[in-house]
Amino acid sequence: MLVVNNVSKNYGDFTALKNINLEFGSGVYGLLAPNGAGKTTLIKMLVTLISPSKGEILYNGTDITSLDEEYREVLGFLPQQFGYYKHYSPKSYLMYLAALKGIEKKVAQEKITELLDKVALSDVANKKMRKFSGGMIQRVGIAQALLNDPKIVILDEPTAGLDPKERARFRQLLTELSRDRLIIISTHIVSDIESIANEMVMIKNQELLYKDSVENICNTLDGAVYETTITNDELASFRANHVLLSEKQEQSKMLVRFVHKGESKEDWTVKNPHLEDVFLYEYRDDLSLGV
Amino acid sequence: MRIVLQELKKILNWKIGLLLVLANAILYFLLISYHIEHFPNGRPALDSYRIGIEMVEKYGVSMSEGEKADFKETYEQRLKDADEYIQSRVDFSSVGIHSYQDFQDINYENQEQAELRNKVVFEENVDLFWELQERERLIEFQNENDIIMANEMERGSSQQVATLEEIKATGNYYIYPELVFYNYKDFIVNVAIAIIVSVVLLLSPVFIRDRSLRLVDLQYTTRVGRNIFKRKMIAGLLAMFMVITALLAIYFSIYSLNNTGMFFSSPINSFIGGFHWYDITFFQYIVLTVLAIYFLGFVFALLAMIFSNLMPNFVALVGIQIPFIIAMIGPGISYLIYQITALDLSQWLVPSGYVLIIVIGSMFMLFVWRRERTLDIVH
Amino acid sequence: MQIVKFECKKALTSPIILFLLLLFTAYNILIVSNSSDFNKELHVANDVANSYGVEITDETLLKMEKDLQEELTHLNNITEEKAGQSFSSAGEFFSQLTYERQEKYSEDQLDSFYTIYLKEMYLDTAKHIDESYQKIDIKELGENNIQNYGLSGAASESLSKQYEKFGNRFDEMKRNMEHKRWFFAGKVYSMHSQLFKQLFLPIIFESIILIVLSTALITNYEFENKAHLVTYATKRGRRLMVDKLVASLAVSTILSVVLLAVALIVYFKVFDYTHLWHSSISSAFNWETNFPYVSWWEMSFLQYLVGAIALFYICMLLFSCSTFAIAVLLKNSYFTFFGFIAIFTILFMLQGFMPKSSNLIFVTGFNLTSLVLNPHQWFMASNGLLVFKYYEVITVLVAVVVITILFVFVMKRFNKQDIV
Repeated sequence: MLVVNNVSKNYGDFTALKNINLEFGSGVYGLLAPNGAGKTTLIKMLVTLISPSKGEILYNGTDITSLDEEYREVLGFLPQQFGYYKHYSPKSYLMYLAALKGIEKKVAQEKITELLDKVALSDVANKKMRKFSGGMIQRVGIAQALLNDPKIVILDEPTAGLDPKERARFRQLLTELSRDRLIIISTHIVSDIESIANEMVMIKNQELLYKDSVENICNTLDGAVYETTITNDELASFRANHVLLSEKQEQSKMLVRFVHKGESKEDWTVKNPHLEDVFLYEYRDDLSLGV
Repeated sequence: MRIVLQELKKILNWKIGLLLVLANAILYFLLISYHIEHFPNGRPALDSYRIGIEMVEKYGVSMSEGEKADFKETYEQRLKDADEYIQSRVDFSSVGIHSYQDFQDINYENQEQAELRNKVVFEENVDLFWELQERERLIEFQNENDIIMANEMERGSSQQVATLEEIKATGNYYIYPELVFYNYKDFIVNVAIAIIVSVVLLLSPVFIRDRSLRLVDLQYTTRVGRNIFKRKMIAGLLAMFMVITALLAIYFSIYSLNNTGMFFSSPINSFIGGFHWYDITFFQYIVLTVLAIYFLGFVFALLAMIFSNLMPNFVALVGIQIPFIIAMIGPGISYLIYQITALDLSQWLVPSGYVLIIVIGSMFMLFVWRRERTLDIVH
Repeated sequence: MQIVKFECKKALTSPIILFLLLLFTAYNILIVSNSSDFNKELHVANDVANSYGVEITDETLLKMEKDLQEELTHLNNITEEKAGQSFSSAGEFFSQLTYERQEKYSEDQLDSFYTIYLKEMYLDTAKHIDESYQKIDIKELGENNIQNYGLSGAASESLSKQYEKFGNRFDEMKRNMEHKRWFFAGKVYSMHSQLFKQLFLPIIFESIILIVLSTALITNYEFENKAHLVTYATKRGRRLMVDKLVASLAVSTILSVVLLAVALIVYFKVFDYTHLWHSSISSAFNWETNFPYVSWWEMSFLQYLVGAIALFYICMLLFSCSTFAIAVLLKNSYFTFFGFIAIFTILFMLQGFMPKSSNLIFVTGFNLTSLVLNPHQWFMASNGLLVFKYYEVITVLVAVVVITILFVFVMKRFNKQDIV
């Protein structure tokens, strides 16, 4: 469906992305990377906001730039931060975007009612957005991304500002949508997509690290994730010698989860690796590992 | 079309509307009201206006030799009236004034005479004396218009002389009082300033607003995509057109209070005070200046939108436009509106001025659009 | 202090502010150089003041007349030799000079003749000072003004009273001999309006534009860059606005001082005032149109210049303060700029809307706009409708009071306001 072919992006001397090759079919893809890894650059290229310095992005075999509006017609995009007019209601705001998306007025009206219902904003459909909470605004954003019944949905940090209940609902909505659609969700919150993504894309140091199923990615650390308890005094030296994934206070001791490749010790228990573990392990230099 | 309408709605919002009303109210009182409230401005302007109407009603828009003679005869008649009036007043004869001729030859060193003259002319505002003064001025111009023409021809370039020859052939120049024509010129120049300022106020936010609200990411990824730039521009130009039309309608309905319609079919060359390249009527001149204002509005609309797209913030947006507006209000408008038909300027100057600013503005706009089409939207 | 520096940087590194500063400076230099066509003649007034002292007395006039006689003899020696003519004055020489006759003389000779002619002119004017000043009737001037402006009732009484005071000052000025000082001939060169109107007025406008833009920029910077949530939640919090005010004033100082300083340096490089700094601003030569400039206080040219610069600077600071208040209120530099312009223009027109029989017509004149639009009339008694001795001081004080009240209001409001 969507193919990223040898794509690089440079800003002067600075390289934002290097030789990315990706292939997306339908399903949910999670784009996982810490901030600054080139995630937003990739997304902005997928939605035509910036163009690659090298390489090409193809949709059904044709370059998306030459497809022009044909491509954007099937695209739904929710930027990380997006603007809205404070004095507009969700309805008038969505009507405006529907016009930009080339949706007929009548069709748009029906679709908007349906979507506002879906994101639970029906009762404020005609209220000005001035007083909306962050979560409500974000839900308006999700609604606008789905307005044109897109074949490709690209969501940049869609769960930001949503409360846990809203997140659960959002995941449900995605699963519902994912049939015969391509959904790409960028996030740095692993738990948001772990359960629903068919495949994960991970970028590290401006290059592609993994593009695989959650299971396969987790397998890369198979047998290397351990848990053990140590005393608080040992913690410092333990930290220096191992890649810690998490620390938890347990009675007067510390329960630590860590990665170790090679010989294990007796009081260590092997654990099944989670996506979170891979994330923390791979990006250990980019993230300051705290509690 | 729906997008254009939506964008149009965004441009014509109540805040900008309020700003336009305020700006135009201020500019009206500052620049325009004078040319309405003080028309005709005192004496002998009032007399000039009255005589002008009388001339148009009696002789039409041009005067034959016979009509000129008739005009002089009227003057003689009024002169006699003046003599009679003077003779009928004792205070005149008591200071030794027995005729209008005496009255004109007043010795200002003679306190009594000077005082009487002041009293009659400035305090009593006796119409007759003002009227005669104006008639004398007009007759003088009528008598000497061939000398003025000769002088003008001597100075003129071959092209100017050719046009002057044509005007000369009509014989209809430096004949009618110029009050109404110059009043209109002053009026329209200031209207042009108000309109240019309004257009700039109206259209400066067009692009910068959506950009500062971070709407661009969303807009550019919809079906219409970056073409929304063009829709906004069209909406901007439509808004400009609507606002200019509305303002012109308001200002011209105010202008109608000056009651100058009877001069509409007079050729502009028939008025005293200068020659023009084009043999058009006063009404055609009005139409010409109105068209000119639309063109200026178009150029400033382009500029406002261009800078709205390029400038990083509102301060820079306002700042960059200040030199352009000052240049326009200063020397620009004088050439492009006030002297739009003036024979003193080379004939190509004003038209090529318009062509130049329109071409430069459009090319600049084209450049901005091309840049926008491939621009990386990073922030 | 550190914060203020950061705030200043926002305006001073803004390309548009720098661009306009450069453009305006270039324009000011253009104004000066455009009007410099007669600067070669200005040395005459300097020379006269140098040789005979800046004060005009009967003795120095006699001496000057004698010296001129000698110079005329020198002129006649040359003309006798070249054309067989002699003249009773250089003026006579020039009135008969045609292009053909001119060719007989060298450029230098003609220049020196012209200098004599100019000296004759200065001498002639100086000799007739008393006579010309005798003709001036301040009371009548006041009555004429009342008539010209169409005043009646209380307004007309007030103006008469002011002209009475002016009359006293005029007599005092004559007693002080303030008018008997050499200065550039105003009727010929109009140096006073050249400097204080043709140059000061554009600078005032330019300065206002720059100040309003940069003050609006500094004040609204966080709101327009969406950094307001962060900044106003810091330790400094909403007191940041105070720093912003200080920064606005500092930037206004820098901008207006640069504008004025460059223009004045160029001006005084082009026009030589070497021996006239201590002449009087009320000099009889400082007479351009139908009335000489007469200041309320005895002031030398230098004192007047310093006073004008100080007043200019104070006004600019006040404009910055008022822009600041508007900006805090509106939080949008677009509307701030036009809001300022609107208020500025309305103040300008205010007088015109007042009844001509009421003292309001004067009261409304005490505003900053009316003050800054007439820089050549600052401290002058000959200032049309605004002949009040302390006009400048009162106007500035009124502005200070109004702006302070506005300030307290907007700051109180801002401190309680939700920042969203």
